[in-house]
Amino acid sequence: MFLKIKHFKRDFNKWTVLIVAVSLFLAIPVFSILISLFRGNGEMWEHITTYFLFDYIKNSIILIFGTGLLTFTIGTSSAWIISKYTFRYKKIIEWLLFMPLAIPSYIVAYTYVGLIGNGGTFIEILRDFGFSVIRVEMMNIYGLIWVLSFSLYPYVYAGTRTIFQSYPSQLKHTASLLGVSNKKYFFTVALPLASPAIIGGLFLVFMEVLNDYGAAKYYGVSTFTTGIFRTWTALEDLQSSIYLSAILVILVFILVLIVKWLRGRRSYNLTQTNTNQKSTENRVKISGLKKILYLGILLIPILFGFILPLIQLVIWGIQTFDSMFNNDLIILGLESLSLGLSTALLVVFLACLLIYLSKWNYLKRFNIFSRIATLGYVIPGAIIGVGIIRTSKSLTDLFSFKFDFEIGHLVYNSILVLIYAYLFRFIAVAYNSIEGNTLKIGNNLSESSYLLGYGKIKTFIKIDFPLLRSALLSSFILVLIDVMKELPLTLILKPYNLSTLAVRAYEYAEDERVAEAALPALFLIFLIGTMITLLNYKVRENKQ
Amino acid sequence: MKILEIENLSKSFESKFEVVSDCTFNIESGKICAIVGESGSGKTTLFRLIAGLERPDKGTIRINGTLMSSDKFISDVKDRNVGLVFQDFSLFPHLTVKENIEFGLKKDKDKKVGELLETIKMENFPNRYPNELSGGQQQRVSLARSLAMDPELLLLDEPFSSLDTQLKSKIRQELRDIIKKIGISSVFITHDIIDALEIADEIIFMDNGKIIRHCLIEDVFKEIKEEKIQNNIVELKRNAELILNALKKK
Repeated sequence: MFLKIKHFKRDFNKWTVLIVAVSLFLAIPVFSILISLFRGNGEMWEHITTYFLFDYIKNSIILIFGTGLLTFTIGTSSAWIISKYTFRYKKIIEWLLFMPLAIPSYIVAYTYVGLIGNGGTFIEILRDFGFSVIRVEMMNIYGLIWVLSFSLYPYVYAGTRTIFQSYPSQLKHTASLLGVSNKKYFFTVALPLASPAIIGGLFLVFMEVLNDYGAAKYYGVSTFTTGIFRTWTALEDLQSSIYLSAILVILVFILVLIVKWLRGRRSYNLTQTNTNQKSTENRVKISGLKKILYLGILLIPILFGFILPLIQLVIWGIQTFDSMFNNDLIILGLESLSLGLSTALLVVFLACLLIYLSKWNYLKRFNIFSRIATLGYVIPGAIIGVGIIRTSKSLTDLFSFKFDFEIGHLVYNSILVLIYAYLFRFIAVAYNSIEGNTLKIGNNLSESSYLLGYGKIKTFIKIDFPLLRSALLSSFILVLIDVMKELPLTLILKPYNLSTLAVRAYEYAEDERVAEAALPALFLIFLIGTMITLLNYKVRENKQ
Repeated sequence: MKILEIENLSKSFESKFEVVSDCTFNIESGKICAIVGESGSGKTTLFRLIAGLERPDKGTIRINGTLMSSDKFISDVKDRNVGLVFQDFSLFPHLTVKENIEFGLKKDKDKKVGELLETIKMENFPNRYPNELSGGQQQRVSLARSLAMDPELLLLDEPFSSLDTQLKSKIRQELRDIIKKIGISSVFITHDIIDALEIADEIIFMDNGKIIRHCLIEDVFKEIKEEKIQNNIVELKRNAELILNALKKK
């Protein structure tokens, strides 16, 4: 300990100051909520705990279990078929399996009501053909599980597919020589080996479920996120919504601990255990009944997560085209895109800054601050929004009472505050992806550059940046997609004169004008779909 | 004149055991010194401390008489005038051979690169990318890149570990010739005592972070008290006998 203190002066540098400053700046919402907890509960807290809290907890847990089970089944089965078998139009199916990510889950929720709700498109078609139809009630927690699962399974599918594809052929050969059937191989070898990726994917699904506001609100399911909104807007009790946020944060951290416990030491290094065998398993060509069955398994999620919602949106879009397609819509799209682009650029810059500050800072214990700054992805948007509102309120009060200076108009109705909130919410997306790539590059190249007389920043520009370009672009696209889909944070913090395609679609649906929500939604899907295609192309190019 | 002076140098990670423990030694200018030790003996960490890539817990490092590192002061990597050839060569993959060598140069780039390409016998490949070179060629480019900066001290981290046995012997001689031709003081680390015997003027043996023996090459086999070194030498002799017997049978 003495040594560490003695070296503090020697090892303390400008990077240490910067990493602490940038991280603290980003993590203001977290600290704000923590501090607020000590101010006592709000006026409505007792009312909330008596009538709502149990429902929030119960529904959130049911949602997590339900979507977890369904996304696990859909994600792993489709990942297995894609990784192990070859068939016609496989590339298109692979791409389509990602496409549900292009439709925000709350929009999928609206379309299902349009499809199979009272007088829904699908119901009417069946009736036209003379079928008597039993009505399926979608607007409940089970409907919500269905919608969220078909929207979010790509999170499980993506990581699991990568792991399945990396299995060395020796693994399957050894299992076959031991007389293990394909079914047993899948359940006893393939699935357990992929468990870290599956658990990682499921965790992302859980975070999205807890963050969902639009779909839960539309289906009338009380969750923590809808509760935080209701407490703050309808009951006008910010302090109680902060208390609710704190409980949700505890729930999230329990989930984090469960995930850590489940993952344990299960980080299998397939190349290490099979150093002599680097070729991956050969893909099997399928035909006949098996082909129909497997294609069916792949087409189900595409159908329910992408094609059916898209068809319904197109039908609504055609119905409302004349009244809805105008300059306003184009401007709205451009506004959404420019907001997404500028935010994504800033997020990638800040993520890079934090990663490199952690490298350049010699007092490694201070790097914990960069971890706090990247907590945003595990904190639902509504909480971040409430945290920022709380901070804004404290700031305006401070300036008003101490300096007799009003800054409310700067803080409450500013696009900068919204962008700041996005920064905190999504920085982890870019941070994790870029950090993984910097680890791949290693330290030797930059250290060689230092030894050749270059400083830290010049080394980054000359060496790291060119090698990271592809990863930076991928992170940029990922953040852009997230920002364009984002709803709860945008709803809380957006300035009055600004809207996004996501917000506009939500507002129409909230206003019982679901059909009119279609064109903004389709525009949004088109933009996000383009990004996903570009990302897919980039990933494939990197692999090559 | 001493090119490198190390005094009571120690380094630990995460406050656990010392990876480098209380090391003290000097190296004379113009000499080639080999640091020999098993994996995990602290050789690489010692190297990184000398280059300034790690920060010592205690002790001092002087290069050519100038204090580079102490408890209160530490000079920046780029100010040490030390060249380091990494084990994996660490050539910049997006730059050509020529661009790699001239990376750190500020003036007379073409002249210097031309001379170095000639020294490493790679005049015909200035526009190749690292992935288009063999292991031996990559190593020579990495060496040339370090030499381009006219460092006072050259450090080579396991320079032969990634080469096959046949190439190893050839490269060892080439490397010694280049270093001696330029006359630069060099330290290299290896786990193979044959590398050390063939190239170095003096050897430092390391074990568990400590220096257990420092001697001139001609004294290596004299009065060996340390068990680890004895084992190493016994193994070496046994290998030599096996080779000789095999040759005799032929």
